[in-house]
Amino acid sequence: IYTKEFFLERLSYWAFVSAAQTLRPIKPPASHYLVFLFNSVSLSPEYSLSTSSPHRSPPSHSHRCRTCNRWCLSLLTSSGNVRLRDLKLQRDAPWSFLAVGAQLVAANPVELAVGNVVRRVLHIIREEDLSLATAAVAGLDLLDASDDDEDVNGKGIGYPGMSAAVVAAAARSTLRPPSLQTLLEGTPESATVPYTSSSGADSESKTADKSSITRKLKHDVIEGVNQLIHEIAGCHEQIAEQAIEHIHQNEVILTLGSSRTVLEFLCAAKEKKRSFRVFVAEGAPRYQGHLLAKELVARGLQTTVITDSAVFAMISRVNMVIIGAHAVMANGGVIGPVGVNMAALAAKKHAVPFVVLAGSHKLCPLYPHNPEVLLNELRSPSELLDFGEFSDCLDFGTGSGSPLLQVVNPTFDYVPPSLVSLFITDTGGHNPSYMYRLIADYYSADDLVM
Amino acid sequence: MWRRSASFILDRSSNSPPMADTTQNPDAISAYYQTRAAHHGVITSDWLAQAQAAVEQPDSTHSGLGPNKSFNVIDEFNGWRKQPDLAEAVAAIRAMAAVIRASEATTMMELEIELKKASDTLKSWDKTSISLTAGCDLFIRYVTRTSALEYEDFNSAKSRLLERAEKFGEISCKARKIIAMLSQDFIFDGCTILVHGLSRVVLEVLKTAAQNNKLFRVLCTEGRPDGTGVLLSNELSKLDIPVKLLLDSAVAYSMDEVDMVFVGADGVVESGGIINMMGTYQIALVAHSMNKPVYVAAESYKFARLYPLDQKDMAPALRPIEFGVKIPAKVEVERSARDYTPPQYLTLLFTDLGVLSPSVVSDELIQLYL
Repeated sequence: IYTKEFFLERLSYWAFVSAAQTLRPIKPPASHYLVFLFNSVSLSPEYSLSTSSPHRSPPSHSHRCRTCNRWCLSLLTSSGNVRLRDLKLQRDAPWSFLAVGAQLVAANPVELAVGNVVRRVLHIIREEDLSLATAAVAGLDLLDASDDDEDVNGKGIGYPGMSAAVVAAAARSTLRPPSLQTLLEGTPESATVPYTSSSGADSESKTADKSSITRKLKHDVIEGVNQLIHEIAGCHEQIAEQAIEHIHQNEVILTLGSSRTVLEFLCAAKEKKRSFRVFVAEGAPRYQGHLLAKELVARGLQTTVITDSAVFAMISRVNMVIIGAHAVMANGGVIGPVGVNMAALAAKKHAVPFVVLAGSHKLCPLYPHNPEVLLNELRSPSELLDFGEFSDCLDFGTGSGSPLLQVVNPTFDYVPPSLVSLFITDTGGHNPSYMYRLIADYYSADDLVM
Repeated sequence: MWRRSASFILDRSSNSPPMADTTQNPDAISAYYQTRAAHHGVITSDWLAQAQAAVEQPDSTHSGLGPNKSFNVIDEFNGWRKQPDLAEAVAAIRAMAAVIRASEATTMMELEIELKKASDTLKSWDKTSISLTAGCDLFIRYVTRTSALEYEDFNSAKSRLLERAEKFGEISCKARKIIAMLSQDFIFDGCTILVHGLSRVVLEVLKTAAQNNKLFRVLCTEGRPDGTGVLLSNELSKLDIPVKLLLDSAVAYSMDEVDMVFVGADGVVESGGIINMMGTYQIALVAHSMNKPVYVAAESYKFARLYPLDQKDMAPALRPIEFGVKIPAKVEVERSARDYTPPQYLTLLFTDLGVLSPSVVSDELIQLYL
């Protein structure tokens, strides 16, 4: 069935691939075009059950992240001789990575996975840059010794061995988030100094060296991004591998809505011959729970479908609640489909473990303030009420200009960290208070605000 | 079965020997809180008598180091911390900088030893101040680490240390601005903030929010015995922020109309809890039971390597408390100036290292003291 979304997806992918194949840097109009395409891909396909084919599930998170990643990859390969500095850090160059990344995030701030992936790639770029710089300084064959600038911590360049150690020490502290030990040292800029000392290309060997460094850097960064794509694609299997430790014989599991991660998690346990039952809360008004129930039955699991309002009634019979997350915030709070906060409160009241499954690309380094409003998307009232029947109540033309009947249809719900028992990511099971550690590993502090 | 014994009867009878030893301030009054009171302009009769006594007996209270050296450090320190805008740790580091300037050492090792002695003197002079201890530790740590990378001559190293110490003063102001910036997102229009104690950092946060044209109102607790509530309300009304004063006992009564609680900290301990003016624990308990977030604004040099297990686990810091009427001699007064709030009652800490949840604090401390 050739829907509009089908074509849009194909078109956007074609655009990315063609950009990747050209060797010219992407000029500003093209980048705007790419952003627009990406935007439409990520925003439009809210497949409603009634219209398009039911077997076509809406693009999941991982799909969106992979699209974003492919875009990054294409930008990197296509930007022929653009130097790293332009690539990474200059905001004024409109085709720089950071600028377009910021545009992507601004296009849809509620879609946190986009920001996560952009920040991950930025972190990869910084890391590779740093490791290349320290390798270069230590090796002293890629760089001219006189290129090494004088303000490496205010010392002279008489002792290259020492300065390498200093550079490495400074580099370690630039990558990590600011900590007490860097307080008194001030800001070490020496890490980028040997690299960006662009004192006019006066000798052929220098330019050749610089371009070889750039090529090597791009190669490393592209490898890093490929690894990231691989990680995102494989997160479902990694999480599903841990299912056998958490689901035991004759248990009752409750879930809400539909998540591909949860589906694979439960099926992995089923394959290892654990027999258990699943209660699926339907997840009004989209009723994704119905889809999940159908899939579970197809794989041979005993399933019961309940309404969202019945969660509290059934919770005392349940051994564990497992849900998938839309995003995980830095304090350990969870953004999930609407209704999970209710399930979490019910679970807390009856001391039922509340387990959240999330791939590492869903981990967001921001702290939520007022997430119910700022990180939420209000969808069309038509999902709740039929416009035909209620047209007189919803009419903006009568009386004072605002209708007496208002409809609020939020997409997401925020679960505070105190209600979550365990996070299962592709790196293992973690406490909500441990999330900050993963953030420090995956993201650099400079990229938090873009 | 295991009820508390009536041990307080025994304690009382054996309480006659004085608690203070000669190296501390007379009367075991916490010097840190005395300074805070002086900043706040609350002068009690006790304090006046003490100031008189201190003027009359110059150096009998200092430990024997070389009377010149210790005199320098402690006097220097006292001089610096009289300034109302300067944080305690910064004053300590400035005092240590003065030690470096006055020292006649010729090697790095000698300088380090001198600094260690000075830091020990400062710490023993006022055992109750946490940011003083933390500031001294931080500086010593920094000196030890940079000297390891040293290969140039002694004089330039000395001058660099001096310059870094001077710069640390600016860090304090910068830290407050960073904290104010970080906390802006958490203050929304129409919110009600409960503030306890007069923390310069929290004042900066509220000032910045007012400058960004946010509409909010503040409830301040009276803050006996320091009278911080009135002082804070003075400052805030200058900024046209609507303020309401509460009795300390009226906090639970007003808690349901509060959206968040903002406090500063005298020290942040390893568990992620804070040590702050008396009353903070109470407010955090009430806020927690009513599901209100408690936010702490503290600079990073206040992180200390303490792990109090309960309220009495810290060095006692006493304040004179005036009741306005005469109290019978046999009646005791709880004079402790501070309490410890465990981390489970705190929501987030705003520091210049970023927004942290209480569990991150121990991680940061490990990084520093590795």
